[in-house]
Parts: sequence; structure tokens; C-alpha cells
Amino acid sequence: MNRAGYHVLLIIIVLGLGANWVIEKANNSHDIPILKPVPQFSFFNQRGEPFTNENLEFKVTILDFMFTSCAGPCPMMTLNMSNLYKDFDDVKEVQFVSITVDPVVDTQEKLREYAELIGVDDGRWQFLWSDMDAIKDLKKNGFMLFADDLPQGHAIKFVLIDHKGNIRKYFDGTDEASQKVLRKDIANLVKESRS
Amino acid sequence: MQIFRTFTILSTGLTYLLIFIGGMVRVAGAGMGCPDWPRCFGRWIPPTRLDQLPEHIDPAKFNIVLAWIEYSNRLFGAIVGLSIAITLYLGLKHCSHLPRIKWALIIAFLLTLFEGWLGSVLVDTVLNPLTITLHLFFALIIVMLLLFASQEAYYLLNPNAENKSQYPSEMKWLFGMMAFTLLVEVVLGTEIRGGLEMIRKENPMIESQFLIDMLGPFKYAHSILGFLITILSVLIWHGLVKRSLDPSSLMVQTSTLTVLLILLQIVLGEILVFFEVIPLIQLFHLWIASWILGLVSIQYVAWQRSRLDYE
Repeated sequence: MNRAGYHVLLIIIVLGLGANWVIEKANNSHDIPILKPVPQFSFFNQRGEPFTNENLEFKVTILDFMFTSCAGPCPMMTLNMSNLYKDFDDVKEVQFVSITVDPVVDTQEKLREYAELIGVDDGRWQFLWSDMDAIKDLKKNGFMLFADDLPQGHAIKFVLIDHKGNIRKYFDGTDEASQKVLRKDIANLVKESRS
Repeated sequence: MQIFRTFTILSTGLTYLLIFIGGMVRVAGAGMGCPDWPRCFGRWIPPTRLDQLPEHIDPAKFNIVLAWIEYSNRLFGAIVGLSIAITLYLGLKHCSHLPRIKWALIIAFLLTLFEGWLGSVLVDTVLNPLTITLHLFFALIIVMLLLFASQEAYYLLNPNAENKSQYPSEMKWLFGMMAFTLLVEVVLGTEIRGGLEMIRKENPMIESQFLIDMLGPFKYAHSILGFLITILSVLIWHGLVKRSLDPSSLMVQTSTLTVLLILLQIVLGEILVFFEVIPLIQLFHLWIASWILGLVSIQYVAWQRSRLDYE
């Protein structure tokens, strides 16, 4: 091989090492900080069974606040959530929780109908109900989301909660690019819970 | 004139490097590292802290490593664009009487602008798979146009380069078939890559060594075509090196290198299939494919030239 050949080979090796370093860096950049633990709460799901903060343990949870008659950003949130629900169907550690912010209209029966309507047929996605004060308190003080003007003023966030019941990250529940990041983060938290 | 030649080579080299960086963005999953375009989180220099993010952007998207990987692609793209613009200027100055060089550079420059715009579409569509393939496809066209301009500039300075060589005249169909299969092979390759993405999305916890198993039959089509390309490259080598009179050293080297690189591609491809989808190997598999396209185009242009002289 002539001198130019060696130079090219050297450049390729340097590029390969550089790319390897960059890819490693990218893979390790998905660490998700622990924000705070979810406080104690005791609500009911759409079947009338109790659901408390202890039900968050040993599971990776994606949680949002919604109401069934909402016409604004909620359909988009529900669509995104149900896409996640479908794609993570073989990952038993992942569960979904939607808490109504309109408990007067959204009775347990209404929530049950809603779950059926959007194709929820197992216990991986639960719809929670409680009285307005408890919901407001959990939303505002537990999840640090605004809760002054419920039900209309509900947040569009998806909250990612780890297997120890810690809030890890908030995502825009209506935005496609954020959903991609969320998917990656869910997978990483499941790996974390398995190790 | 010499400076024009230097710039054609510089632009070609930089564009190849840009294809490498673009592939790196892809395998690092950094394509959405900046959620806006052309700026990154509303800034010309990507943010380093959360509090630098503008209000309307979801902070969950912020990953400083991915942002800088994506932004380096954009910055380098701007440098390449500048280099191609200078090359075009010099080309128009020195070679405006040579339509082949002039138009190759004009088209390369226009496509470069188009590539920048496609980059913004990619961000808008959150990495639409077809757009990603187009983004790569036009990069390959640009690099081949630049390579063509470099080669023609070389012949301007060395007019006797292929004068003494005589190659077989009936090679057109071989080059045609090679170009066609290479093109189909690249498209199949991007299909496989897109298929892997889909499988990853629907099976978020899948380990990389099982990924390929879940792909449909087109992974075999890609392999079979790979062997066909090997045969074609050996036939071309045989024609240009063995059945020719006094082949130029450029021809001997590019022909031999093409065969060797195609064999290397088969090895890399089979590693991806039989062992694991390793990002670094994916990256080189794609990059070497772009070299092979370039080498074949050099062979074709040199062959054409020797025939022109001959006739």
C-alpha cells in the first residue's frame, strides 16, 4: 500500500473510534433523574377496586390526568396513550393510569364504558376516580401540576413513574417527538427495574 | 485551475465525511436531538442547561448529548455547502466552456440547498422514514456529481491520462446492471433499516441480536443481491484489468478496491445478520456502500473517456 493508502486507513480508524465514542455517549445519555416520590393516595379504579400508591410498586407507570368528555387535547393524549398500551402489551412491568379530573360526570360506570370504548381489555390500563378535593390535592401537591380550574384546566402531561414509585420525568402527551423519547425512557426504566 | 481541482477534491472528501456524520446521527438515535430547525432549542449555539430552553418546547425532549450530535451534522453540512458553493464559483470561472463540469456543479449545488431543506422536513415530520431515505439518496447523488467534477478536472490537467489504455468496448451493459443493482441494494438496505425501526417501536424491549430474525424476506433479497454485485464487480474488474491493454493505474486500483470493498460489505452485513445489530457496523456498512458507488462511477467515467480518445 502506498502512503496515501496508509493516510486513508488512519483517517478511517480515527473516524471509527470517534464514532464509537459518540455512539457510546449517546447511549449513556438517557439517564433519567429521580424527581420525587409519589405521595400516599387511595383512589378507586373503574371497577370499584381500590388503587393506591402501593399499586405503583414493581411497575413502570405512565400516568395522566384526563376527563372523558374533554374535546380539546385529550383525544390526542388518549391516542398516544393507547398506542403505548398496544406496543408495550408484552412487557408485564408497564402499566398505564388515567385519573379523571371530572369525578361528578366521570362516574366509575362512565370510566368503565370509556375504557371499553378505547379498547382496554386487561388490567394494564386503569382509570382512577376519587372526590374532587383528593384529586386536586394529588395533582397539585403530589404531581406539581396546576389544578386550579378543573376539569378544563387539566395538564396535558404524561408522568413517568419508576418501579419504586418515584416520579422520573414529565412528557408532553400531545407531541409526537416527546412520545419517541418517552418510549425510550420507558424501556430504560423497565431494564432498570429488572436489574 | 489548480485551485479549482483542489476544491473539487476537498468538496468531495467533505461530502463523504458528511455522509458518515449523518449516518452517525442516525445510529446514535440523535435525529431529533434538536426539535426545531435551523436553530437548536431556539438558539444558534445549542443549550447546555435546562433553564436555557424556550417556554414552548417540552423539556423532556432535552438531551444535551443528542442535541450536539445533531447540531454537529448541521454545522458540518453548512461547511460542506460553503465548500460546494466555492467550488461552483471556481468552476464557473475556469470551466464555463465545459458544460459537463458546469452542470454537474450547478446540480450538485442546487441539490445541496435541497438537502438542507429536507433536513428541516425531517425535523417537522419527526423523522419520516421515506424522507430519511431521500436525504441519503440525494447525498449520494451529490457526492457522485462532485466526484465526476473532480475526475474531469483531473483530466483537464492530465489530458493524456487514459490515452494509452484500451478497454473492452462492450462493457456498457455491465456498468448499467451494476448501477441498477447497486441502487436497488441501497434501497433494500434502507428498507431493512426502516423495518428494524418499526420492530423496535412495536417491541420496545427487544434485544438487538433478535432484531434481524423478525425481519421479513427482504433481508435475503439484500444478501442475494449482494452476491450478484460481487459477481458483477469481478466481471468489471476482469474487463478493465485483465482484458484491457495497458490499463491506467487509476483503473486498476479502483477496480481492485471495488471488489475488496464489496467482499468487506458482505462480511459486515453477515455480522449484522448472524451476530448483533451493532450501530458502528451499521454505520460503516452504509458508508462503504457510498464509496462503492463512487468507485464504480470513477470506473465508468474513465472507461468512457478512453473510448472517446480511441474513437
